[in-house]
Amino acid sequence: MRTGTGSARRGARRRAQAIDPITFELASAALRATAVEMGEVLKHSSYSPIIREMDDFSCAIFRADGDLVAQADFIPAQLGAMSLVVKEIIERWGAGIAPGDAYLANHPYHGAMHTPDLNVIMPVFLGGRLFGWVGTAAHHIDVGGVRPGTEGPDLGEIYAEGLLLPPVRLYRGGAENPDVFAIVGAAVRDPVSTLSDLRAQRAACLVGERRVTELAGRHGARVLASVFDQMLDAVERAVRLDLAGLPDGAAEAEGFLDDDGAGGPPTRVHVRLAKHGDRLVADLSGSAPQVRGAMNVPWASTRASVVYAVRAMTDPARSTNDGVLRAVEITCPRGTVLNPDPPAAVSVRHNTCQRLADTLIRAASEIWPDRAIASSTVAFFGMNLASRSPRTGAMSVMAEVVGGGTGAHAAGDGLDGVDTYMANVGLMPVEVAESSYSVRILRTELIAGSQGDGTFRGGLGIRREYQVLGEDSAVTFYSEQTDPRFAPRGARGGGDGSPSKITVLGPDGRELPVGSKASLVLAPGSVIRIETSGGGGYGDPAGRDPALAEADREDERG
Amino acid sequence: MVSERAGRRWVVGVDVGGTFTDAIAASSDGRVVVAKVPSTPQDPGDALERALRELSGQGVSPGAIQMIFHGTTVATNALLTGRTARVALATTRGFRDVLGYRTGSRPLVYDLTQPRPRQLVRRADRVEVDERLSGLGEVVTPLTRAEADRAAEAIAALRPDAVAVCLLFSYLDDAHERILGEALARRLPGIPVTLSASVAREFREYPRTSTAVINAGLRPVVGRYLLGLGSRLRALGAPSRLHIMQSNGGCLPAERAAEQAHRLVLSGPAAGVAGTAALGASYGLRQLVSLDMGGTSLDVCLIPDGVPPVAPRQEIDGSPILAPSVDIVTVGAGGGSIARVDRSGRLLVGPESAGARPGPAAYGHGGDQATLTDAHVVAGTLPADLPLAGALTLDADAARAALEPVARSLGLEAGEAADGIIRLAVAQMTAALRRVSVQRGIDPRGYALVAFGGAGPLHAGLLLRELGFRTALVPRFPGLFAASGLTSTDIRIDDSRTVLAPLAPGLAGELASWYAAAGRRLAAQLRRDGIPRGRIRLAASADCRFAGQGYELSVPVTPRGPAGVAALAARFRELHLRAYGHADPDQPVEVVTVRLSAFGALPVAGADRPAGDAAPPGDAASAGDAAPPGLEPPGAAGFTRPGAAARIGRAAVRLPGAPAVRAVPVYDRERLGAGTAVRGPAIIHQLDATTVVLPGQRARVDDRGTMWLEERR
Repeated sequence: MRTGTGSARRGARRRAQAIDPITFELASAALRATAVEMGEVLKHSSYSPIIREMDDFSCAIFRADGDLVAQADFIPAQLGAMSLVVKEIIERWGAGIAPGDAYLANHPYHGAMHTPDLNVIMPVFLGGRLFGWVGTAAHHIDVGGVRPGTEGPDLGEIYAEGLLLPPVRLYRGGAENPDVFAIVGAAVRDPVSTLSDLRAQRAACLVGERRVTELAGRHGARVLASVFDQMLDAVERAVRLDLAGLPDGAAEAEGFLDDDGAGGPPTRVHVRLAKHGDRLVADLSGSAPQVRGAMNVPWASTRASVVYAVRAMTDPARSTNDGVLRAVEITCPRGTVLNPDPPAAVSVRHNTCQRLADTLIRAASEIWPDRAIASSTVAFFGMNLASRSPRTGAMSVMAEVVGGGTGAHAAGDGLDGVDTYMANVGLMPVEVAESSYSVRILRTELIAGSQGDGTFRGGLGIRREYQVLGEDSAVTFYSEQTDPRFAPRGARGGGDGSPSKITVLGPDGRELPVGSKASLVLAPGSVIRIETSGGGGYGDPAGRDPALAEADREDERG
Repeated sequence: MVSERAGRRWVVGVDVGGTFTDAIAASSDGRVVVAKVPSTPQDPGDALERALRELSGQGVSPGAIQMIFHGTTVATNALLTGRTARVALATTRGFRDVLGYRTGSRPLVYDLTQPRPRQLVRRADRVEVDERLSGLGEVVTPLTRAEADRAAEAIAALRPDAVAVCLLFSYLDDAHERILGEALARRLPGIPVTLSASVAREFREYPRTSTAVINAGLRPVVGRYLLGLGSRLRALGAPSRLHIMQSNGGCLPAERAAEQAHRLVLSGPAAGVAGTAALGASYGLRQLVSLDMGGTSLDVCLIPDGVPPVAPRQEIDGSPILAPSVDIVTVGAGGGSIARVDRSGRLLVGPESAGARPGPAAYGHGGDQATLTDAHVVAGTLPADLPLAGALTLDADAARAALEPVARSLGLEAGEAADGIIRLAVAQMTAALRRVSVQRGIDPRGYALVAFGGAGPLHAGLLLRELGFRTALVPRFPGLFAASGLTSTDIRIDDSRTVLAPLAPGLAGELASWYAAAGRRLAAQLRRDGIPRGRIRLAASADCRFAGQGYELSVPVTPRGPAGVAALAARFRELHLRAYGHADPDQPVEVVTVRLSAFGALPVAGADRPAGDAAPPGDAASAGDAAPPGLEPPGAAGFTRPGAAARIGRAAVRLPGAPAVRAVPVYDRERLGAGTAVRGPAIIHQLDATTVVLPGQRARVDDRGTMWLEERR
């Protein structure tokens, strides 16, 4: 103790500026666990299948200024997305923000991603002062608009994409704001699910608020505030260290959507990636001007795509926060498909995000060939089918997503029949589909030969057939990569995956002419057949291990 | 059914772990004998036989063993290493690839280089069959006898070791599966055939197919193993009344274990949980948390009402199994968890582990990475100069040398780093305990913690303080607790059926009659297993959700008749409100799956075996969450300080969170008799575990050798 006095005083001084590493680790782990706990509450008590089955939601904790410090990373598409909404709330409501409030927002030109993603955000007050925020964003199946399921690739304006909400007060001082609940309830096709899920989102926020308050009680508000700051610093530092450890270089890559969503020409996504020292610049300004259809990407989603690609190419296991964006610069002028001006429609922005993620990863594979990864499919077949329950006759919308093959890489083959890159949506089980909707699924199989060849081979695409039963049914679907030029690319000498294909057969078996996107009314007995792309191959096919080739034959992979 | 012999009779539990095979024998007159031998992964039966021989050397005559309970990893290991039998699979035409695309999502969301999951059945070994039911169970395409024979012929040509059949919507009507099963039995006599509706009558084709295929692939493996055990036991002169632990926390007569092989996958961890429930019941405690911490991981289970809760499904190596399994939360935090500082300067503990070999640096087996055990050695909570099980002694210099680089990277002294590592590990343990309690709306202050495994008692006092449990119990042999837990289990059989219908008055009668029929079926099986009627009890539940939701909550159905079914909706709303903080009073409730479990209490009389057995879940009034006052250990009128002989030294210890080192007395647990109370701070040493008592806490030893830790009031 005698010799310890001086060092203890030095220690105390050090801790006043930068808390000790143990406290930091304890508190930051608790904050990450809190975001996950919020997610569990939301997932297990929600009604929208997109939330509970497809994990299309996020939960996060923010600093008082809106920077995101911890996020439960269920779905890459929403990485870091909510912080722009929180900043919008601060700007709009300022001094009026009070304890017990909860804000609702979905406006793509006020920080949100597309109208079906409803953000519910709560301030956390400590000792009467605004300390931080907790929030959830979740994809609701329908927020009104022209089409069941709200999304429509050909919609030309944001005003056709359902209810638009800049941040408004869903709760005031802990009580529901009945005006907002009434407006939302009247505008959407399934008010019971939507309003229940909003309450579930707020219940998740309450859990988050309680945990942050407990942590502040335990460590002190000042210490917790500096934990928030240091969590941002730590992620920034880790990303910079990763980048510094990689060779410098620059590369560009381009990719295309099949069209512009409204029957127009292919839409170009262009990336110029440059790494110098511990910084990365993603220049997206070579991408197409904003388009007529709903393929435009609001800024929050463009940012999320870049954050995703950085994480996937550096350390996939490390959680991220807004600290990433201090090490990465994104440039893209207004008026482009990746940074549109209002009122461009955005509801099918996810297809463009997938294309952007793939293009970023291909550019990164050029700069760092030993990390090269062949392309996964970005066909992303999505479908909203108006239907009825075969048991009760109640109207509903069947929302379906079909994945395909992922790209091969230096360590092995790609995966078969899965969703790729920025989402991880499961395939609806036949026994769920046919007991919930008036539809019969005639087959679901992996397509032999759809993969890119190589030393390691891509994963297989999926063939699935849906037969409409009962009555005339409205359907909207959209996909990409039906154009063979845009099929998944191989890497380092590996072959390309197959293009995707959509076929629609009338009740008489005759083929109806459709492109990669359509909104139709189908008579009972009609069949929609989707064949998705396989993943790209990696390396020279001649180099394939004979044992793997033999296993391919036993698995009849073609 | 139990032959009456003169003299002492024994009940034996044998638990096969990754490193050691533990055996414990309890006699009808209260004697307990233990054995610990190295496991033999090539044939686990070798170690089991050796353990029985060691017991025999200590006076447990094989002929006097009345029953053997066995926790086995045979099924788990076969699945993890791919050494299952070759299975052919029959599916509805158009759907042979259900095992290929699985759920349609990626196991790891962000990893672009994750490995392709192993296929359970080669694509060439999957045969499609012309037949189809609709989503309402109506026949769309009938299965003809000719088509069944054609499919059986095609499967026979593949020469499989076993066959699984999973047809769409067979959970609604299994007639097609049975027709195909008969055709296969005719064509392939002697080859096991598993029908999906017979092993898991639940909806969603991928998990049901996976379950049927895993069952088929394990049947020959488990069958061979049990056959081998049977002849070993006969050769030893032990009567082969053998019971196998299941994932659900109950056991199964060995004769029926092979056909239920998919239910044995969590056999090992379930034993400790069953032991916790039995230990609690013997003290009248029904709100319990089990904490099993070994070298590589920590298993936590919350037991809310005396009976371990089960989850309806589990996953192994990425494949789902629809078999009720004790609801354990596992985290990668054990004594061997490695502490390191990453490049950005963050201190991390686990999930990487030094395992059994090389193990912590302090073990002196060549490990040089800092582990949680090494942190305890440096902190002094694990004194270095005392003997441990397996003739091990701890090398304090090696532990300190391993910790130095970590401490340097953090700018701390070794003692401070050790303290940080322990506190981080305790935070991970606390997070796991919160996940099973606070996050499910349950207040741990009403619960008793039971801490076991080699590293559990080391942290029991810390967790008691952190979460405020009523008390923390450290069993007499913490390192052998899973084996002793085995001897206290009931036979358990589960049945289930997917209903998927709104909870309307018309449904109530249908559900009540399913419960009645299933109850008769299960009770009849238990009577065939030799359980008298009076020792059989049934527990019914229903998985419910609001119409439109996708996740269910399990709701107990008591009483099992129409009245219990009628109360379901109200009970579900109450549970939903408690778990998630909201419940819509107007939204209709639907029943997804009905479940019934039958428990048969084995009429054995071992010392560690509680007589009455726990009451059926839900039948007794729950004690609720209110924190009851402290508990009194039984068997001693007053507690006295330990005698001087029990105190074997003093250690220089930096207690977790304390700023400095202090001298702490060390006691020998063997010499702490019944009625002893040890005031903290103290370290209580025994061969298989060390218990740390914090300042302000005390440890009291009851007349059965269980140690009760509590805060002094």
